[in-house]
Amino acid sequence: MGDNRKILVVGGGISGLTAAVEAAEAGAEVVVVERKPYLGGRVSQFNHYFPKLCPPACGLEINFRRIKNNPAISYHTLATVESISGGPGNYEVNVTIQPRFVNDNCTGCGECAKVCSTEIPNPHDYGMGNVKAAYLPHPMAFPFKYVIDPSIVGTDEGKACADACAYGAVDLAMQPATLTFSVGAIVWATGWAPYDATKVDYLGLGKYPDVVTSVMFERLAAADGPTGGKILRPSDGKEAKSVAFVQCAGSRDENHLPYCSGVCCLASLKQATYVREQYPDSKAYIYYIDVRAMGKYEDFYTKVDQDENVTLIKSKIARVSQAPSGGLLLEGEDIVNGGKVKQVVDLVVLAVGMVPGTAAVKPELPMEYDDFGFVVSSGASGIVPAGCVKAPMEVAASVQDATAAALKALQCAMGR
Amino acid sequence: MEPRIPFLEVSDAIILSGAENLYWCMQCGLCTGTCPYRLVTGEASEEFNVRKVQRMGQLGLEGFESENCLFACTTCRACVDVCPRGVDIIGNIRGMRRMLAEVGSIPPSLKPIAGSLHAQGNPWSGPRDKRTEWIKDAPVPTFSADTEYFLFVCCTSCFDVRSQRIARSVAKALQAAGVSFGIIGNEESCCGEAIRKVGDEELFSKLAQSNIELFNGKGVKKIIVTSPHCLFTFKNEYPEFGGEYEVCHYTEILSQAVKDGKISFSGDAVGALAMHDPCYLGRHSGLYDPPRELMSALPGAEVKELSRNRNKSVCCQGGGGRVWMETRAGERFAELRINEALDAGAKTLVTACPYCITMLEDSCNVLGKGDQLAVKDLSEVVAEHL
Repeated sequence: MGDNRKILVVGGGISGLTAAVEAAEAGAEVVVVERKPYLGGRVSQFNHYFPKLCPPACGLEINFRRIKNNPAISYHTLATVESISGGPGNYEVNVTIQPRFVNDNCTGCGECAKVCSTEIPNPHDYGMGNVKAAYLPHPMAFPFKYVIDPSIVGTDEGKACADACAYGAVDLAMQPATLTFSVGAIVWATGWAPYDATKVDYLGLGKYPDVVTSVMFERLAAADGPTGGKILRPSDGKEAKSVAFVQCAGSRDENHLPYCSGVCCLASLKQATYVREQYPDSKAYIYYIDVRAMGKYEDFYTKVDQDENVTLIKSKIARVSQAPSGGLLLEGEDIVNGGKVKQVVDLVVLAVGMVPGTAAVKPELPMEYDDFGFVVSSGASGIVPAGCVKAPMEVAASVQDATAAALKALQCAMGR
Repeated sequence: MEPRIPFLEVSDAIILSGAENLYWCMQCGLCTGTCPYRLVTGEASEEFNVRKVQRMGQLGLEGFESENCLFACTTCRACVDVCPRGVDIIGNIRGMRRMLAEVGSIPPSLKPIAGSLHAQGNPWSGPRDKRTEWIKDAPVPTFSADTEYFLFVCCTSCFDVRSQRIARSVAKALQAAGVSFGIIGNEESCCGEAIRKVGDEELFSKLAQSNIELFNGKGVKKIIVTSPHCLFTFKNEYPEFGGEYEVCHYTEILSQAVKDGKISFSGDAVGALAMHDPCYLGRHSGLYDPPRELMSALPGAEVKELSRNRNKSVCCQGGGGRVWMETRAGERFAELRINEALDAGAKTLVTACPYCITMLEDSCNVLGKGDQLAVKDLSEVVAEHL
């Protein structure tokens, strides 16, 4: 059946990687295309997983090794799908590859970055902190290859980077390329984006530097993040010893995201442990509508709730403002205890919901979408959605869902 | 906390009274946190919790009925704008008030208002035959079959001496802009917006029906109003009673006249002025730009913004019947606005609603800031510069 047994996986995050290795280990040939210059997706930006509070690095590392050791898997970074034609069992897919300006000779030595002085906002850290315009996306990036930002291509600085490379790896003449793949099935795993909580204007994101989102907070707590893992206030670098977590920052709200993402409560409970572990004299406050820690995760909620310095308050925060005495003031109704919430903290973390990657721009492909832009699983199509592009879910559920998607794709590719 | 037994017959009755989506509320408390009563101190601030009021309504429990609780709500719509469930919170409040109104349990201070509306067709105990006394010596045309717009003057500006200046200013400005308009006169009745919010549905329908009969009989197609409260009710509530009109607030007509070059201003520089967005012009009707366009067209206008402006504007506390209820000095929303205007560097605080004028001017005087800040309806500033 030739190429028809091939499977294309769109998206190199945890769902895409899982689908790729599962399908390849079952005997299919797999191509992974990823928009970013590295694989691993948002999981590579996390500090710890809940509920085990272990770093995601080891799980990613195992997946990368499975990819490296399996000749049936090939991957392309900086790659986006342009078009899909054909049907189940017989798709033709055009993929555009943006130039990395660094070829496979790169050893990751970093000599190019040493001679580069231009800095760009670090995309891996949501723009908190800068990186050189010749950069390794993050310390355990896979592939372990530098990237030259287009802003220095064609400048003397770009040329200096090329000259500094002893391996001839910097190729400033690299052009965008189009690749065509014939495949039998496609796994669509383009993931999610955090909801733009600047739209919830009363919560102060974008107005006060010490209001951050939950995904930014992961970077503030991560050892490879902008603060080296120290939880510091962005405004002045002070240790953030009182941190408020504002749940449903746009979620369960008809004016914003009408659905519950189901993971944010657990993420905030987890993040409260970061604060408590780092500073013994710290306090964490979690403001919620309801704490949604479903099934087995209830034990995690109970465990975190036992810490007397973690306070859970039933309140939907109505206003975040600058406190006259410094810090940020949160206001709302304290529903259980009666009265008002008036709490001053060092740092406010907004628990933002998950928006499917297909919400803003729905690809004109044979896929169906629900009201919120999530891809609906369709039995008739050979394009199988997996992970957070299908519904909000945590990493463990994404892995399960991607494994199931791999099976569906295999069935389609094998013509069954 | 003592256990309480839900009384669902009461809850059903509240829903039948108009609190149609009472049960949509998921009790997140964002309404209570957003409510302007959280910005002040005092009895109503302590007692009135809009989330809890709705919870009591859901359960049919008693204890929300007082003047400083259920009747504290000014229907400013700040909570409705942010409610994550899209609950018609004002509709729920109105439904709960209606339950009480039907058995005569509205606060004592509102009873003479209802009495005056019944007897005189206005809430200010003014004799019906003196409705057009605001005109004084400047003649205003009478509406006839070939008049384009019917000018409906709010009862407040018909009978309150201070507020009559607004009516005269609007009429003068419309004449200067060459607008074809006229009033009907003493047969007009109150639009009924406030009494409906108070919960007296029967009285509201009586007023609405009487006006619609009158307006339709005279051939009214288009209405200009002086108050955003009349705007709201003519536009949104009269159609269900058979009154379909094109309704405009005077700031819309005048800002369009400026754009069309039909009106121009002269005279002394206006200086620093700021707009207090009335709830019923802003959040309820979405009209934020017309007054600002009009302000910018005034000679020497230095337009300032209050720290809380447009859809974040804080209520003057005159809506929902509160204009007839007492709030102690030191606990008034209008005091916040006066201080915001001074902080913004304004010399004149303008607004475009007779209730706002009453509340703001009173607080300006109580705070002793009358020498630093003038409170004026935008129509008055316009009329001064024709």
